Amino acid sequence: MGVLHATGEALTLALSGDAALLAIIGVSLRTTLVSLVMAFPLAVAAGYWLATTRSPARAVCIWLVQTALSLPTVLIGLLLYLLLSRAGPLGNLQWLFTQPGIVAGQMLIGLPLMSALTLHSVQAVDRRIAETAIILGAGRARTAVTVLFEARFGIVAALVHGFGRVVSEVGCALMVGGNIAGETRTITTAIALETSKGEFAQGIALGLVLITIALVVNAALLLLQGQARHVPAGAA
Amino acid sequence: MTALLELAGVRKCYGERTLLDLDSVRIDTAGAYALTGINGSGKSTLMRILCGLEPASVASSHWKGAPIRWSPYSGLLRQSVVYVHQHPVLFSVQVAANVGYGLRVRGVAQPQLQARVHEALQWAGIGHLPGAAVRNLSGGEVQRVALARAKVLEPDLLLLDEPTSNLDGAAREQVLALIASLVGSGRSVVMACHDRDLINLPGVQRWKLRDGKLETKP
Repeated sequence: MGVLHATGEALTLALSGDAALLAIIGVSLRTTLVSLVMAFPLAVAAGYWLATTRSPARAVCIWLVQTALSLPTVLIGLLLYLLLSRAGPLGNLQWLFTQPGIVAGQMLIGLPLMSALTLHSVQAVDRRIAETAIILGAGRARTAVTVLFEARFGIVAALVHGFGRVVSEVGCALMVGGNIAGETRTITTAIALETSKGEFAQGIALGLVLITIALVVNAALLLLQGQARHVPAGAA
Repeated sequence: MTALLELAGVRKCYGERTLLDLDSVRIDTAGAYALTGINGSGKSTLMRILCGLEPASVASSHWKGAPIRWSPYSGLLRQSVVYVHQHPVLFSVQVAANVGYGLRVRGVAQPQLQARVHEALQWAGIGHLPGAAVRNLSGGEVQRVALARAKVLEPDLLLLDEPTSNLDGAAREQVLALIASLVGSGRSVVMACHDRDLINLPGVQRWKLRDGKLETKP
C-alpha cells in the first residue's frame, strides 16, 4: 500500500466518524484529562515546595524528580504492572488493564515533568516578589499564590508539556492498559497495534488526530499567553 | 519619647565573619533615622533584620515597651513593619492592585480599600496611573508606587533602603518630597542612604554603621 493511498484512506476514516476510532479517541482524552486534573495541582505544589524549601531533603528530591524525567515510560509501565498485578502490593485495587490503571501510569509520567518545569518557573521569579508579599503581610499560602501567579507562563507551559507527554506515551498504557478495544485502547496503543498488523490507514488516521489535538492544545497555550500580556487588574 | 522597637545584642554572622555586632538598637515612636555607612557595612542587612526578612541572633526585644519573642516572619512584624527594597519590585498587575495588595491581604473591605488606594495614589502623585501596567512605568514611578504601597498600610515602622539611589532629576526630587512628608508624620522611619538631602531632612537622626557597630548621632 502506498503512503499516499494509506493517507487518503486515513483522512476518509478520520472524517467519517468511525465508531471504533471515536472510542479510541475518547479513551485517550478521558484518561489524559483525568490524570492531568489529578496530577497538575500536585505537580505545582511539589514544584513550588522544591523551589522554595530549605529542607535538607531538597537536593535529593530534585535529583529524584530529574531522574524520573529520563525514565522510559515502558519502565514506569513495568513497575506499575508489578504493583497492580494480582500478586502485587496494589493488586487489591484491580486496576490492571483498566482505565484507572492507565490514569495512574499517566500521573506518574506527567508528575515529574510538570514538577520540574514548575520548579524552574518558580526559581526564575525574582526573590523580591516573595519578600515583598511577606513584607506586605501575606502569609505562606498567599505568598505562594503570589509567586505562582508571577510564574504563570511557565506553569501553563508545564501543563501543556505534561499534556503532550501523557497523551503521546505508549509504553505504560500498553503494559498497564493491555490495549483492550473499547476499554483501554488509546490513540498511541492503537497506532502501535494497527501498524504491527499492516493496517496503516487507521494508524495514520489516529496519528492525524493526535497531531490535531497537539495543534489545538498549543494554539490554546498561545492564546492564553497572549491574554496574559494584558495586565490583570488584581489577580496577584 | 517612647520606644517603638528596642533590640539588644543583635548579632549577624556569615560563617566566621561577624557583619553586625550591635549592643542595642532603639527606634522611637515617630522617630526618623538615616542609616549610613560604606558599602558592605551591613545597612541593608540591618534593615532586613528589622523587618524580619533576615534571621539574626537577638538577645532581647521589646515592641512598644512589651517584651516580644524575636523571630523572622513573625505576625507582628508583618502587620506593623514595611520595608521597601532598594530596587522595589512590583507585582505584574495594575498599579492600583499593587498599592492595594497589603490591604487585600488584611481583608479590608472593597469600598474602603478603593478609597485608601485612591488616596495613596494621589499622595504619591500617581493618581493618573491606577490602571497602568507596571512594565510601562519609569524608575521614579516604580519607586512612588512602592512608597504608596507601603504608606497605604499605615505601618508603625517604615524601612526605606536607598530610596533615591537609582533616581535622578525630577524623579529624585519627587521621591524626596514624599519621604519628607513621611518623616514627622507620626510613624517611625528608618532610611538606609548616602543621600545628603535625606540625611539632612529636619528631625532625622543619623546612625552610622562602622566595623559592625552602630554609632548614633543626634
